[in-house]
Amino acid sequence: MSRKLLTGNGAAAWGARLAGIDYIPAFPITPQTEIIETLEHWIGGGQIPARLVTLESEHSMITAAGAAAATGVRVFSATSSQGLLYGMEMLYAVAGWRAPFVLVNVSRGLSAPITLEPDHNDVLAARDSGFLQLHCATCQEVLDSVLIAYRLGEDLRVRLPVIVNQDGFYLSFTREPVEIPDQQAIEAFLPPYDPENMQFRASAPVSQAVAVLGGGPYSYFRYETHLASLQALAVYDEVASEFEKASGRANPAIECYRTDDAEYLFVMMGAFATKARQAVNQLREAGWRIGLVRPRLFRPFPEEKLRRALAGKKGVIVIDQNISFGRGGVLHTELASAILGKSEKPPLLVSFIGGLGGRDISAEEFYEMARVTKEAVVDGKAPEPRLLYTETELREVRKLQGIACVERQALENEL
Amino acid sequence: MTETAFKHMRDLPSTHLLGTGTPACAGCGGLQAIHQIYDVLGKNTVFVNAAGCMTLLSVYPFTPFRGSWLYTAMASAPAGAQGIRDALDILIEQKRIDKNEDLQVVVLTGDGSAYGMGLSATSSAMERKLDFIYLCYDNEGYGNTGQQYSDATPHAAKTSTSTGPGGYPGFKKDLFSIWAAHKPAYVATVIGAESLDLARKIQKARDIEGPCMIISLSPCPTGWDFDPSLTAKVGKLAVRTGIWPLKEYENGNITHTRKPAKRLPVEAYLNLQGRFKHLFEPKRDEKMLADIQTQVDAYWAKVAS
Amino acid sequence: MYRIRFHGRGGQGMKTASRLLGAAFFLEGFAVQDAPRYGAERRGAPIFAYVRAGKSPIFERGIILHPDLVIVADDSLVPVPAAGVMAGLTDRTVLLISTTETADEWRRRLHIHSAILTLPAPREVEDRLELRYVGAECAGAAACLTGHISKKKLERAILGELEGKPQKIIHRNIEMASEGYDRMADHKGLVQEGTLPSAKAYTPPAWIEMPFEAARISSPTIHAGLTSIKVRTGLWRTMRPVIDHRHCRKCWWVCSSSCPDGAISVNEEGAPGIDYDHCKGCLTCVSVCPSHAIKAIPEHQAAAAEEES
Repeated sequence: MSRKLLTGNGAAAWGARLAGIDYIPAFPITPQTEIIETLEHWIGGGQIPARLVTLESEHSMITAAGAAAATGVRVFSATSSQGLLYGMEMLYAVAGWRAPFVLVNVSRGLSAPITLEPDHNDVLAARDSGFLQLHCATCQEVLDSVLIAYRLGEDLRVRLPVIVNQDGFYLSFTREPVEIPDQQAIEAFLPPYDPENMQFRASAPVSQAVAVLGGGPYSYFRYETHLASLQALAVYDEVASEFEKASGRANPAIECYRTDDAEYLFVMMGAFATKARQAVNQLREAGWRIGLVRPRLFRPFPEEKLRRALAGKKGVIVIDQNISFGRGGVLHTELASAILGKSEKPPLLVSFIGGLGGRDISAEEFYEMARVTKEAVVDGKAPEPRLLYTETELREVRKLQGIACVERQALENEL
Repeated sequence: MTETAFKHMRDLPSTHLLGTGTPACAGCGGLQAIHQIYDVLGKNTVFVNAAGCMTLLSVYPFTPFRGSWLYTAMASAPAGAQGIRDALDILIEQKRIDKNEDLQVVVLTGDGSAYGMGLSATSSAMERKLDFIYLCYDNEGYGNTGQQYSDATPHAAKTSTSTGPGGYPGFKKDLFSIWAAHKPAYVATVIGAESLDLARKIQKARDIEGPCMIISLSPCPTGWDFDPSLTAKVGKLAVRTGIWPLKEYENGNITHTRKPAKRLPVEAYLNLQGRFKHLFEPKRDEKMLADIQTQVDAYWAKVAS
Repeated sequence: MYRIRFHGRGGQGMKTASRLLGAAFFLEGFAVQDAPRYGAERRGAPIFAYVRAGKSPIFERGIILHPDLVIVADDSLVPVPAAGVMAGLTDRTVLLISTTETADEWRRRLHIHSAILTLPAPREVEDRLELRYVGAECAGAAACLTGHISKKKLERAILGELEGKPQKIIHRNIEMASEGYDRMADHKGLVQEGTLPSAKAYTPPAWIEMPFEAARISSPTIHAGLTSIKVRTGLWRTMRPVIDHRHCRKCWWVCSSSCPDGAISVNEEGAPGIDYDHCKGCLTCVSVCPSHAIKAIPEHQAAAAEEES
C-alpha cells in the first residue's frame, strides 16, 4: 500500500490499473481526458498490458466497450457530460446485452448553454439505462469505487455495466491524499473476469442482443434486467464488506454521518456532500441535532436503507445538484416515492436545487437550509422548492445581459 | 495472395451454410448475396449487425447463422467489430483462448447505415486499419421502414419520400470512392446475380488482412417494385447496362472485373422497376432517360481512358 | 361492439379491406377502430388486420382475442397455426372464407360450432397474390353480415379510401365489394355484437412473481446456430417451383446460388432439390433456369394433389 496525492482522474486511472483491465475504448472530453491519457502513458511505458483504442465518438466507444466485454475481456472506459449523452443509445443497449464493464463519468453540466463545471444531470440522464451507479465524494472513493464496481457488475447474479461518477473539477482536477492498495490485495478481492457463457468463440456459436417481436419476451428480458439490478443491493453489501477487509476502508451503500440522534438530515450526492458534512459539524456546535445521509449507490436505489435512515426524523433537507425541467430535483422525487405509503410518520422533505453548473454552495446556505426546514416542520408544511441563488448573482447576470445587448426595457421591467 | 478457388461456376459451393426460415422478403437480393458470401466465409465468423432489414435475420430464438452474431445499433456496427476484434486479439495474445477459437469479424449493414448514419464509424475503423470485412447490402433506400430515400438512392427513383413527378432529385453517393480514398486493404462491389465474381472477391476479402469493404447492390422487389422472380434478372441488367460496375480496389489500383463489351441501354434495367415507371408512363421522359444514360456513358468513358 | 378480424397474406390488401369496412361503419355513424397488425410483414406471409365498431366510443385496443367475425381472404391459411385464423373463435363467431371449397367441406374439416360461410375463390387464378380485389370483396361481405351498412355508404367509403387511385381500380373495387355484399344477402345481420368482459364474475389473470434468473439464462442470446430452420417460411408461398428432372441439366450452381433463401440443395448426383418447408415462392429459380426445367404451379393445387396422393 502507498499513499499519494492524486486527482480524481488519477484515482480513477489507478482503480482501472489495479483492476487489471484488458481493454480501454476511449474518446477525449473535458474534464475526463486525463484518465485515458494516464492509462495510455502506462500502456505506452509498458507498465500495464492493456490495449487502448480511441474511437471517433462516445457512441462508438460504448459500442466497442460492450462488444469487447461480450467477447470476454475486462473493459474500462470514461466519459463526461455531452459524451455520455452522445453515447446514450448504447448505454441502454449494452446494459440490455448484460455486458459488464466500468465507465467512469466525470460529471459536467449539460448543454445548452454549454459549460464546463459539474452538476449531475448528465449521469442522471442514464438513470434508467440499466447501468448501476456509484457516486463518489472523495478521490479515495473514486479509486475504491472502480474496484468495487468491477466485483459488483461482474457478479454472476448481476452482470450489468456500472457507472462510477465523480464531479468534474471538484474531484477530477483536485488532488487529495489517496491510499493505493497493493496489487496482491486486490487480486485476492477481484478474481479474473469470467462472464460464463457470454463470449464469441469459434467452438460455441451464439447470437447476442438479438431482436424480439412482441411484448411478452420483451417484458421478460427487460424485467430480468431490473431484477438483476435489484440483486445488486445485497451483492453491494457483500462486496463492500470484502473490500473493507482487503483495504480497511468502508464504502457503505449509503453514508450516514451523525444521523443516530439527529432530528434533521441533509441528503445529497457527490463531492459537495463533504460540504454538508462540515455544515453538520458546525450546526451541531450551534446546538442542532442534525446529520448527513449520502447515497453512494444510486442504482439500484437503496430504498430500504434510506427509509431506515430517515425513520423518526423531523425534517429532511434534500439538495439536488440537478434539475428535471418542469418537475424539480430528481433525488427529492425518488426519496418522496421511497417513503410514501411505506413509513409511519414520514419526515417532512424540503427540496433545494443547488450547485448547477458548479455553482458553489456556501456554509451559510447549508445553515439557512436547516433553519428553513425547521420552520417548515413547525408549520407542518414544506415550502416550494428553492434554487440556491442570491441577489448578487442575479446582478452579475444583469451586467452580462447588458453587454449582450439584451433588450433594455425588458431588463428594467424585470428589475 | 492465394489464387482464386472459383475458376468456374461449378466451383461454387453446392451446400449452403446460411439457414433457411429467415424473415427476409421473398426474392430478397440482399439475402441472395449474403447466403453466397456466407458460403465463402464459413461459419467461423461473427456478424456485427447495424439496424436495417437484416436485423430481423436473428429474432429470438431464431438465427440462420451457424456462427455468431451481435446486433449493435444503426450508427456503430464497425465499433462493435473493433471491440470484438480487439478482445479476441487480447485473449489469443495472452493465450487465454486457443487460436482455433478465433473468428472473422464481419460488419453487416444496409445502405442507410453505410452511406449515412454509420459512415463516420466506418471511416474511423478503416483509419485504424481494423482487420474486418464490411458488408453493405445496398437496396438504395431505407428498406426496412418502407423504402424512404437514403444517400444511396439513385437519381429519379421514386421512394416513399420522393413521390413527386421527378422522383429523387439527388444522386447516388459514390461510396466505393469514399471508401477507397481511405486506402483500406480492399474495396469491391458485388451483386448476388453474378455469383462467380462475388465468390472470388469474398475469397480475397477473407484472405486479406485489414479493412475489406464490400458493397453488394441488392435488388429489392418490395422497395423497387418488381416481381420477386426477377431479382436475378434485375441484378444481371444492373451489370450489363453498366449502372452497377463490378470493380475492386487493391494496392491503390481500381480494376473493373466485368467490362460489358456492349452495354445495354439503361432503360432495359429501369423499365423492369416500378420506382422508375414514371420515366416510361404515361409518356416517356426522354430527357431524364438520356441524362441517366449520359451519366453511365461518362463513367465508362472515364474507365476506358 | 363488433370485433372483426381479417386474415390474408402480405400483398392481398388486408389493411385496405379493414379500412374500407372501418370507413363504411364510420359513415353509418359508428365509432370505429381499424388497424393492421404490424410485425415483420412480408409479401405472401400471413398478416391480419382488425376492425372494431360500436354505437358508443370504443375504449378497447390492440389484438382481438374473441372475434365476432373472422374473414379469411386465402383459404390456405386456415389450417396454418402460425396464421392464427382459428385463434379465439367461439360458437358465436362467424367464419367467412374465400375458397374454392364448399362451406360443408370446411365444416367437415374444422369440426367447430361457428357458422361457416364462403365466398367463391376464382379457380382460374393461379397465383392468389394476384387476387387484387379479394380484400374489397371481403369488406363488402362483412358489411352485409353486420346488417348495419348500406351499399351506398360502402361505395362512398371506397371512394374516400381509394381517392387518387386510377378510376379503373376504384371502379373494380366497388364492383367486387358489391358482389361480396350481394353474396351475403341471405345472411344479412348474421353477425352479432360481442359483449365486454364482466367485472362481476371474471377469471383473474394468473399473475406470477417473475423469478430472478441470472444473465446466463435471461440475456437475449441464442446459444446455438441454425435455429431459424424451425420457421416454416414455405407457408408464404402461393406458387410452387417444381423441378422437372428430365429437363434439368444439373447446372445446380445457377438455381442453387440464385435462390435468395438458400432453399435449393444439391444431391450427390448433382441434382438440385427444393426445400418446400422453407421456399418462399419467389420463383427466382424459375426465371434463371437455363433449360426451363423449373415450372411454377399454384400452391393450392400442389397442396391438394399432395393431399390426395
